[in-house]
Amino acid sequence: MSIELLLALITGAALFGVGVYGALSQTNLVMIMMGVELMLAGAMVNLVAFWRYLHPDNPAGQMFVLIIMTVMAIEMAVGFGVAIARFRAKGSVEMEEAAELKG
Amino acid sequence: MNLITVAILAPLSTAVLILLLRRLPATLALLGIAIGLLASIGLLANAFNGITNEIILPGLPDLPLRLVATPLTALLSTLVAVVCNLVMIYAVGYMKLDGEKLRFFATLLLFAAAMQTLVLAGDWILLLAAWELIGLSSYLLIGFWYRRPGVTSAATRAFLYTRSADLGLYIAVFILIASAGSSDIATTLNTGGGTAVVAGLLLLVAAMGKSAQTPLHDWLQRAMAGPTPVSALLHSATLVAAGAILLIRTAPMLPPDTLLVIGIVGGITTVVTGLIALGERDLKRLLAASTSSQYGLMLVAVGAGVPLAALLHLIAHAAIKSSLFLGAGVFQHSRDGTAFTQLEGAGRDQPHCFFGFALAALALAGIPPLSGFFSKDAIIAASLASPNALMLTTFALAGTLLTGAYMARALHILWRGNSQKHDIVGLGWMGAGLAGLVTLAVILGAAFPSLETLLNESLSGNTLAQVLGLSAALSGLTLGWFIPMQRLLGPLLPWAQRGFAIAGGVDTWVVRPAFAIARSCEQLERGLYAAVLGVGRLGLGIGRAVRYSDERGIDGLIFSLVRGTVELGSRARALQSGLIHREMAITVVGTALILATLLVALLI
Amino acid sequence: MFFIGFFGLAAVWFGIVVFRTFSMVRSALALLFSQTALGAMFLSMQAEFLGVLQIMMMATEMSIMAIFMVMFMMDPGGLGEMDMTHQKRLSLGAGIVSFVAAVAVAVFVDWGPVATVVPDAAQQTIDLGLELLGRSMLIFETAGITILTAMIAATAVAIQPGANSTTSHRRRPVSTNNPLDSGMRRNDER
Repeated sequence: MSIELLLALITGAALFGVGVYGALSQTNLVMIMMGVELMLAGAMVNLVAFWRYLHPDNPAGQMFVLIIMTVMAIEMAVGFGVAIARFRAKGSVEMEEAAELKG
Repeated sequence: MNLITVAILAPLSTAVLILLLRRLPATLALLGIAIGLLASIGLLANAFNGITNEIILPGLPDLPLRLVATPLTALLSTLVAVVCNLVMIYAVGYMKLDGEKLRFFATLLLFAAAMQTLVLAGDWILLLAAWELIGLSSYLLIGFWYRRPGVTSAATRAFLYTRSADLGLYIAVFILIASAGSSDIATTLNTGGGTAVVAGLLLLVAAMGKSAQTPLHDWLQRAMAGPTPVSALLHSATLVAAGAILLIRTAPMLPPDTLLVIGIVGGITTVVTGLIALGERDLKRLLAASTSSQYGLMLVAVGAGVPLAALLHLIAHAAIKSSLFLGAGVFQHSRDGTAFTQLEGAGRDQPHCFFGFALAALALAGIPPLSGFFSKDAIIAASLASPNALMLTTFALAGTLLTGAYMARALHILWRGNSQKHDIVGLGWMGAGLAGLVTLAVILGAAFPSLETLLNESLSGNTLAQVLGLSAALSGLTLGWFIPMQRLLGPLLPWAQRGFAIAGGVDTWVVRPAFAIARSCEQLERGLYAAVLGVGRLGLGIGRAVRYSDERGIDGLIFSLVRGTVELGSRARALQSGLIHREMAITVVGTALILATLLVALLI
Repeated sequence: MFFIGFFGLAAVWFGIVVFRTFSMVRSALALLFSQTALGAMFLSMQAEFLGVLQIMMMATEMSIMAIFMVMFMMDPGGLGEMDMTHQKRLSLGAGIVSFVAAVAVAVFVDWGPVATVVPDAAQQTIDLGLELLGRSMLIFETAGITILTAMIAATAVAIQPGANSTTSHRRRPVSTNNPLDSGMRRNDER
């Protein structure tokens, strides 16, 4: 059990926790997306740490990081698309005002 | 074509023709009945020549229908045809002003056809059918003026009286066919022993009903509600005669005990109805009661064992009684009624008719050389010769005496009083019919010897009988002419006028129990009805309960399920705020719960 | 080990800062720094390719994010000090709980022996390239297609309804007060 792995994992956990807080607490769509980015970043740290300290010979670990980056990019793209549409329709991206999907 | 079919079908087809053509009813009726008469006369001539006509028609299995013209039946058929003819001629005049000639003549022809079938029937089944047809057509004819008050009830009464007595005929026929194995009347006449006694008594019941014998004599007088030609026909040759004809035809079969009963019934009837006739206040009702009385005499003759005497009296009576009725019809048209108070002196209005009427009355009383004398003489002679001579002779003489008395009374009333001249429509036709019948009534006596030879029987002449009968008739006539009816009857008067209804008569002894039975049957019926209804209601109740349980139970279950789902949905709907942060919070919490569950599962 | 701890701390710190400022631009910049710190952390964990990639990608991404922030928020400088949070307690609780849980897992799980020798950067990149175009090619290609799809979808969502009529619209005088819904007026034109 190396201290580096633990540090990395704790960093990931902390980033994830901060991301959860941000995603839940922010009212702005872009800020929520930032929270999500942080959560994904936490996951990414974990993956890199696992690759580095447990299976450095297996490039699949790095591949997963690339996938996470892809997901981040997709999230950004779709999120901003939605944000633009929303802003154009309502003039703001405040999520407290968006209750159209109410069941 | 056989003469028998002509005799029956000529009136019947004419009736149908009248109903189809709807015009010239009188002409057609006369034509049809005349053809029937010719056929009957042909049959009689054949019988004289010793030829027996017979038709066998397919009927029930092993029980073919037969029509036979034996000398007896041919004679009866001729009698029926003759009387029907003359009555029909009379009826043309009588019904001249009536609006419903079609119905009248058609029914009358049906009646004639049915009667021909009855007399010519060679087997019991056809006889039963004809018997029923006679009952039906007499009902129709008595109720012909159904709009007049009391007519319908009289017709119904006549129908029900005869019908209930007919049950005797039905049972007797069943017994006879069962014991003889054949429906042929000639074959069944060979039965003897207990079967014959029972069957004979049952036949007597049927004859009592049809011939209006005591205690079933009430309906005949009420049947006077019908038109006079109908009365004439009913009383002389058709309906009422059917009873006597039945007994005459079955006489060879009847054992002595049954004969005695028949004699007693006839004797009582002749006396009782004679008294009733003496006390009557209406000419037609008097004649009706007299008919019962005369048929009582015939039954006495049958009971004495000489059906030939009964037959001769039947023939003579047919002519006499129809002429009497036809005369009464003339008086009725003359005075618009038949009550004696209206008829006083009516004889002087129509002296020719009165002459005919008086001749017929004297013939009925038994004055020589009129026909009634010979037949009555034969009856008295027969009763004198019978084993129960004393009783039967007494009855016969009493009947003769009473006949003379009431006929003299009627003549007296008709002759005394003032003449009121009225023009009578159709008097020519009526007179012709009347004249023909009176002629028959007068001269028939001369034909009796040839009839005896025809039937291969002979009546023993008896001077004692002639003397007794003549003296009884003469004394009766004298009494009736000179002594008022009230004195004559004395204490019997109220009884006679009430029709000798013993302790309420038939009403008490038959009608009330019948009504009681009917009522209890009705109660039973109501009970059954209620039970059936109850079963139905029970079914409905079960249905309702099932429906209730369906609606409240199964449906309720389904609906509550649906409602629960909807409620659950609406609760879950509250979770769907549409706000992203809420949804995400729920996601996080849910994920945490899942992870916690997994952790717990892992640790355990 | 020091660098890992330092950059990790920096990443976490900047991550917290993201939600502590009132300025959108500063938030975006803080996120950029956080991601850059992560990239540096990757580098110190001897994942050179990933570290460089992370820094470059996140720099681009966060710049875009900052631009959008400025566009959407009327107050990019955060001068209004308006509160842009809600359900704070739940969020805080959720964050702390997830953090604690993750840490607990990290601490209590026996991760096994730690590898000390790592292939050098060139070898890593070669391995990664072979991996991507070999065993995981399907995943890689799927990711690429997904990105393409997402781009098209985002453009479709973001595009203004009736935007292709803006050319004809520009030639005529604008009669509406709000240019944003001018495209909706197309049917009223003569």
